[in-house]
Amino acid sequence: MKDKLGQYYPILALTVVVFISVAVLSGMDSFTRDTIQYQKELKIQRMLNQLFPEMSAYDFDESTEIYTITADDTKIGYAFLGVGVGYGGNIDIVVGLENKTTLRGIAVIAHAETPGLGDKILLPDFTDKFVGLDISEVNLTRDGGKVDAITGATISSRAVVDGVRAAAMEKAKLIPD
Amino acid sequence: MAKFWKQFLSGIVITNPLFVLALGLCPALAVSVTVTNGIGMSLATAFVLLGSAIVVSSIKNFVPNIVRIPIFIVVIASFVTIADLTLKAFIPTLADSLGIFLPLIVVNCIIMGRAEAFGSKHPVHLAIADALGAAVGFAIAMIIISFLREVLGTGQLAFKVVPYFDIHLFTLPVLGTSPMALFILPPGAFLLIGLLLALFRRLGVLKSE
Repeated sequence: MKDKLGQYYPILALTVVVFISVAVLSGMDSFTRDTIQYQKELKIQRMLNQLFPEMSAYDFDESTEIYTITADDTKIGYAFLGVGVGYGGNIDIVVGLENKTTLRGIAVIAHAETPGLGDKILLPDFTDKFVGLDISEVNLTRDGGKVDAITGATISSRAVVDGVRAAAMEKAKLIPD
Repeated sequence: MAKFWKQFLSGIVITNPLFVLALGLCPALAVSVTVTNGIGMSLATAFVLLGSAIVVSSIKNFVPNIVRIPIFIVVIASFVTIADLTLKAFIPTLADSLGIFLPLIVVNCIIMGRAEAFGSKHPVHLAIADALGAAVGFAIAMIIISFLREVLGTGQLAFKVVPYFDIHLFTLPVLGTSPMALFILPPGAFLLIGLLLALFRRLGVLKSE
């Protein structure tokens, strides 16, 4: 067969291989798609649960990107994502609000800060300081706010504080009264 | 059968991908922060190595020489995508911590290297032996490096695969409170891999004498 097709044989061979690959991968995709989607939702749910342990359901508004949290059919708060620019890149934070002004808490979900220093932003010692704060108080103590910076990790601490405040200020306006 | 074992063992010792050939250093440096990551990366790499070795050596007679590289890459990329989707669906925590280095297995030179240098020229059973040898060699190297980095750099050893499978093995007395964070950082990885390469060279020299 190689000889009959001559110079076209390489094109045919590559095309056949690519077609087989496409067929296998699209099968694989439809096999895993639902599970991957389910895992993503589970991840969001677990993240929201960290801030709202009593949560029974949540509702995501695509236009404002705010999660509204309910427990037994009563609204108990709102959550959304914030981004801070840290020492090692972006820090993704989930921010929880009890109402338009009061913070429920924060949780860092992804970061690339220095292990042993900047990654202390993950610890409750740091994140607990945000609980119950008014949005306007979210700033480092040295900058007039109520959050103490982590020793040796001022840049990471400031990144989290700035990310939380920016996101909270922006999203609070979008929360219906 | 003797040939099979010879080829298999050569991948672990004489042509160990990391310590002797110094191939695949990029993923080795980047993800070897914890033993969990090291094992995960080794398993994904092993799957791709084995799959592509079988396919490449079974289709070698139909593959025209001038397009062999593109064809091998398509085969390898397919196996990487299968591994990527499977991990994302069933072990998402591991997929998250391996991050971009999971899809980047495509360009891991161990795989292309073994497919091109061995799989495309040998019968399937020898290609399997070669791939298994390279996979086990890579895994041993990854486990040694990631074990040293996790223990020295964090002072503890833990396995976190899924949120509910979280085993904390031990915390060292002094290192646990003040770990040598250098080993978690890239310079520590370079230092360790350099020392291990030197050690393996020395062992290799001793053996040949």
